[in-house]
Amino acid sequence: MLIELSEVSKIYNQGRPNEVRALTDIELRVEQGSMVCLKGPSGSGKSTLLGIIGCIFPPTSGRAAIAEKQMARLPDRFLTLHRRETIGFIFQRFNILPELTVLDNITLPLLPLGVSPMERKLRGHALLERFGITHRARFPAGQISGGELQRVAIARALINNQPILLADEPTAHLDTVLSREFMVIMQQLKEAGKTIVIASHDPLVFEHPAIDRIVTVQDGRINVP
Amino acid sequence: MAQYNIEKQLNILDYALSSLWRRRLKSLSVLLVFAAVIFLLASFQMVTQALSDKAGQVLVHTPEITLQKMSAGRQEAFPLAYKEQLAGIFGVRRVVPRIWGYYFDEVRLANYTVIGMDTAEMPEGDRLDSALAGGRMPRLEEAGRVVIGHSIKKGLDLGGRSTFSLFRPDLSLKPFEISGEFSQHTDILTNDLMVMTLADARDLFAIPADQVTDLCVYVANPKEIDTIARKISDALPAVRVLTRPQIQKTYQVVFGWRSGFGSICLLAALAAFVILAWDKASGLSPEERREIAILKVLGWETRDILAVRFWESVIVSGLACILGITAAYIHVVYFSAALFRPVLMGWSVLRPELHLLPSMAAGDILLILAFTVIPYLAATVIPAWRSATVPADSALGG
Repeated sequence: MLIELSEVSKIYNQGRPNEVRALTDIELRVEQGSMVCLKGPSGSGKSTLLGIIGCIFPPTSGRAAIAEKQMARLPDRFLTLHRRETIGFIFQRFNILPELTVLDNITLPLLPLGVSPMERKLRGHALLERFGITHRARFPAGQISGGELQRVAIARALINNQPILLADEPTAHLDTVLSREFMVIMQQLKEAGKTIVIASHDPLVFEHPAIDRIVTVQDGRINVP
Repeated sequence: MAQYNIEKQLNILDYALSSLWRRRLKSLSVLLVFAAVIFLLASFQMVTQALSDKAGQVLVHTPEITLQKMSAGRQEAFPLAYKEQLAGIFGVRRVVPRIWGYYFDEVRLANYTVIGMDTAEMPEGDRLDSALAGGRMPRLEEAGRVVIGHSIKKGLDLGGRSTFSLFRPDLSLKPFEISGEFSQHTDILTNDLMVMTLADARDLFAIPADQVTDLCVYVANPKEIDTIARKISDALPAVRVLTRPQIQKTYQVVFGWRSGFGSICLLAALAAFVILAWDKASGLSPEERREIAILKVLGWETRDILAVRFWESVIVSGLACILGITAAYIHVVYFSAALFRPVLMGWSVLRPELHLLPSMAAGDILLILAFTVIPYLAATVIPAWRSATVPADSALGG
């Protein structure tokens, strides 16, 4: 198993008056090379679950093993180091820095890894070519179309060749055409061996034939059908 | 490992540069204000040091010991006969009487320093002519001839004439003819100076023939200045004995005091700037929070983000230092420190038109760096810690 969560709970502001229980006793296993969709309405706990799988924060209790490493109670620094080697992120609205060029956005994860400018350029251009946006390399990201932006976000998530790809509501701000295009790219990545977890309540995503399993999250719990 | 760290720091430096460029309007305004503060501090330091050096060079030619008489804190004339008492002190080479006074020109509202002495009596007196831009010092027999400073000549507005008159205390006019003019290299001391014969100065100030205001004592061995000064004090307890090192020290203190006063005012400006920088650095716009959260999700550590802030501050403060110190140098050399002349040279209405050569030791530059760059780095990097600890999950959706 590449992702294995057992009895995972997450409580924000524990012990304070504004305590929020976001996840309760989550059990989840994701095999390598599979594509899983976390389905559920806004506020159901999908993003929190994605945050734990993505090593952004540890669970409050339970065990979380990502790429064979136990995440629970690891200090922030180790979570960061493990995250940048293992996980690529695609955010809601893509979270691209609009003033940076397309190439600079894509190679942003490589800067703290000490990758030389030449190597960064080579790896960035290889991905631009793969997604057909080489001509946009020097454009400020704020000036490109929504479809191109989506491809830039995917390219950035793949720049360090991480085995796991996480996407948080990736089609929430895309039209139908671009949403379908997104899923086609995800399917190709799955076929290339990537493990993909998508949090979405968009039928175009969870009904896509490339999705191996749908996990429904409701009120911080996984509903077993 | 070393190669990895160098490459990583270069990448972060590259990102810091692009980050400054993206916020170029804000960066430029901070840079300009910071450079202005450094310019003021560096100018002050340079001009003070230059004046101090210049005064030190000129004062080398003053007498080794000067005697004056003080009464109720004011200088007054004393009997010339004291000269005879000094002749018996071992080590005294020569004693030259002098009249030193101030003449207030009511028309030009300027204060002139008047010195009456017979230069022929001074050791190396003939060499004093080398301090003149033209002409020569008046000789003993040359009544009514005077050497004047650069600003006096300009202030008197003589045109082609070389004669002018000053009022005696009884309001009768005493005519003078200019026999020479001091060189501008000695402006710091001679700018408002008139040198005439002893007899002319006595006549101008109505001082009796058996009185003087100063006695200049020249010694055979300069190492014995203090010993001889002590002997003179013992022999003439009513007079004040000033040695050349004391006078030099007084000038240093005067410039030091003026510089200190100005520096305190400028440091207040610097403190205001640092507080502003702290305030700006500790406040975080929504865009900045979002950028930090994205970087953290993408694998940037807190220390990487701090390093970006550190490099940004180093670039801004380094550029501000280069700009500020260069502008200060130009200000002192080409504009004769025009901004600070009233503060540093304002003892007379006639201000010297000095051509200053900035003198700045490595210690002075370090002092400026310590007072400017370090507080700025602290004011920007310390609050950046707060911004660098923005949780990565704020980049995620709900």
